[in-house]
Amino acid sequence: MTPELIDSGVLAAPVADETLIARAIGGDRRAFAELIERHYDFIFRTACKWCGKVSDAEDVAQEVCVKLASVLKSFDGRSAFTSWLYRVTLNAVRDMQRARSRRGRNADRYAEVAPDEYLPDQEDSAAAKELWQAVRRLPEQQRDAVLLIYAEGMSHAEAGGIMGCKEATVSWHVHEAKKTLRGLL
Amino acid sequence: MSNHSDEDRLNLLKTSGSPKPSEAARRRALEAAMLAFDAEQEKVVRAPQGNPIIDRLRSIFASQKGKWIMDNRLAYGLGTAALALFLLPLGYQLYTSTAITPIKLPGVIPTTVATPEPELTAPADKTDSGGAASMDAPVVVENFANGIASMRAAKPAGEAGQLRDEEAAVGLAAPEAAPPMQSLAAIPAPADAMMAQPTEPSGDQFSTFTESPVKIVKNEPVSTFSIDVDTASYAYVRKTLTEGWVPEPDAVRIEELVNYFDYDYPAPTDASTPFKPNVSVYPTPWNARTQIVQIGIKGYVPAATEKKPSNLVFLIDTSGSMDEPDKLPLLKRAFALLVDRMGAEDTISIVAYAGSAGVVLEPTKGTDKARILSALDNLSAGGSTAGAEGIELAYRLAEQNKVKDGVNRVILATDGDFNVGIDDPEALKTFIKGKRDGGVFLSVLGFGQGNLGDDTMQALAQNGNGNASYIDSFKEAQKVLVADAGGTLETIAKDVKIQVEFNPAVVSEYRLIGYETRALNREDFNNDKVDAGEIGAGTTVTALYEITPVGSGAALNDALRYEQGGTAAATPVAANEIGYLKLRYKLPDGDTSRLVEEPISADLAVGDVAQASADSRFAAAVAAFGQKLRGSNYGDMSWDAIRALAQGARGPDQNGYRAEFVQLIDLARTLVPDSRG
Repeated sequence: MTPELIDSGVLAAPVADETLIARAIGGDRRAFAELIERHYDFIFRTACKWCGKVSDAEDVAQEVCVKLASVLKSFDGRSAFTSWLYRVTLNAVRDMQRARSRRGRNADRYAEVAPDEYLPDQEDSAAAKELWQAVRRLPEQQRDAVLLIYAEGMSHAEAGGIMGCKEATVSWHVHEAKKTLRGLL
Repeated sequence: MSNHSDEDRLNLLKTSGSPKPSEAARRRALEAAMLAFDAEQEKVVRAPQGNPIIDRLRSIFASQKGKWIMDNRLAYGLGTAALALFLLPLGYQLYTSTAITPIKLPGVIPTTVATPEPELTAPADKTDSGGAASMDAPVVVENFANGIASMRAAKPAGEAGQLRDEEAAVGLAAPEAAPPMQSLAAIPAPADAMMAQPTEPSGDQFSTFTESPVKIVKNEPVSTFSIDVDTASYAYVRKTLTEGWVPEPDAVRIEELVNYFDYDYPAPTDASTPFKPNVSVYPTPWNARTQIVQIGIKGYVPAATEKKPSNLVFLIDTSGSMDEPDKLPLLKRAFALLVDRMGAEDTISIVAYAGSAGVVLEPTKGTDKARILSALDNLSAGGSTAGAEGIELAYRLAEQNKVKDGVNRVILATDGDFNVGIDDPEALKTFIKGKRDGGVFLSVLGFGQGNLGDDTMQALAQNGNGNASYIDSFKEAQKVLVADAGGTLETIAKDVKIQVEFNPAVVSEYRLIGYETRALNREDFNNDKVDAGEIGAGTTVTALYEITPVGSGAALNDALRYEQGGTAAATPVAANEIGYLKLRYKLPDGDTSRLVEEPISADLAVGDVAQASADSRFAAAVAAFGQKLRGSNYGDMSWDAIRALAQGARGPDQNGYRAEFVQLIDLARTLVPDSRG
């Protein structure tokens, strides 16, 4: 007759994401904090790959964390939380870049050569560096498809799930991207 | 690099690592997120809980802003109906294929992350601006939930249909000359009629149950059930009807409707036999060929001088959702009524859970009213619903101040948020059961609509030797906490079970009206370990059977062709007995049950409904009302007939409850018109 008392103040044992999400939706502050803590790195890393700049990635990551407070309740557990999080993050990246392009091309150009540009590891080849830059300059959907599949190692179907389109459409974006890249590189 | 294939080249992307985020940026992000989270919680608290869809729709259809003249209810009803059309098939699939069981604590994890069908939601798809990123996603989710809600309302229809089929299989043919207890084929598909009506679109949770069918006395002569003193269902039905909705069938528990009213049964005179049964038999108002056997019990009413000291702990839900006029503010006024009755012998403590959690008022003498009232007044709803150890704390206080031979009770007041510190419903029940055996009982008061966990309320109160009441108005608070306070607070007998054995020589078929959720097995009657209902001081409990006398021609089942008179040896001695009533109870602190028994004599029967007492006629009218509202297979009476019956049976009706019931009939009639004119 000892009922399990779950003190929301102590999240000692690893609690499943789903549990944290449910609690956070229910208004549990600590659960939400824990959830953000747990996934911040993932969000940041993803943002980094997409933006190519540490400072932008930090901004995007913060934006995503803030947004989660209001959109978390629309997560329905149908897909994995990380897939859903990819989507929220990619949307944030896109929002930021669109806002920036509205502010002017020049700022954008400047940003591209800013000193804090995220460079692949030292030992990465110049070819890799060139490739990253080219991929980031692709049209949004082509870029997303390419990065999800080649940088994140997903299947076309998984990428489709995140991009909200059919597998065939993803393949088409990749195909288009390859064509575009041939011209760029 | 032109000699690389495209594929190889792109694979280079995989090999790159990524930098670590800076600690400062990380902390900034976290802080900003928490700020946003808190702001969001505040928004949630303020948002009305009842009709999320309308609110959403309103904000989406910007053109409608400012000229929103339609009555919310109407729009909501239309919306629900339209949605039901779209979502019914899908909803049904969901209902059957996923684990969205109604009997779950609301807010507990599995229900919140229930997994619906794939292509419906597109989280964060539309990305015009950061904040509104996934505005449309929640709408879809909620619409969906509503589909499920309407489905839930529709489900019993299917069950009713099934039941009809089963009965048909048991024995369809009625003797040509006489109408059976209810001619089945003629029933105007009540469930379909209900569907077209604005059915309660709430998020309230009710246990589903199937109406008890007609039983053949020869096959199953014994009927056993636990008494039920709850009245929550009536208050809930009244609230929904008053607001222009038809309550979902599972919300209509006929025994609770009947028991809402006081009946003037003679009361026992001393506490050692806390009650005695009163039986009356009269013709069924909806079928002249059958009879109603009414079993009434009135609890002993202690004299004022015998008033027991009370040790009450209010356990109050202060989650954000309680911040509505018919919740926390009503609760405060309701409890103030109770506090007013407290004396020097009594202690009151207040514990809040969710939101501002903790002990709000240390145990305080009943005479220190100013302190109690100001503590009560300072309660405010808001903040998160994070579970504190509310319930444990409340029981600890109750145990610390336990008064011997007095009333020791935790009174839980909530709108359905049972996040009291124990997440698992089963663990919560076990906990309450354990405390009950230690002498601290539990009462549950439900407030508001939209989130009400009626099923959980019932389950908890039953496990805690208590009662569940639904407080929809100050008047109801007055009834539960003042007029019936004795019954609500002071238990005079517990584990009260009723068993009736019908005499096959006199009765061919019987049917217990209501009590579906309280049915017991025959063998449970003599088993003192099986828990049953409690009865409070002065409470009346009524149970109705519809019986078909042998040879009345009203039997639903044909006689068996091959049955011989060989069983004659077992034929009962007394041919003028309808049956034999047995009743078991325990004294509040007792562990062994006592037995009360008496025969139900056929001589009790009156020949005409009009000759029955006003109380009997009124009880029958309430039962008929409940059956009709539920879309029952039995008891088809026109609203007019029900109304006339109730109207003529109001009696003295000192507090006006019966007059109010007559008004409810009028409301119900407009919402669910007689389908046969």
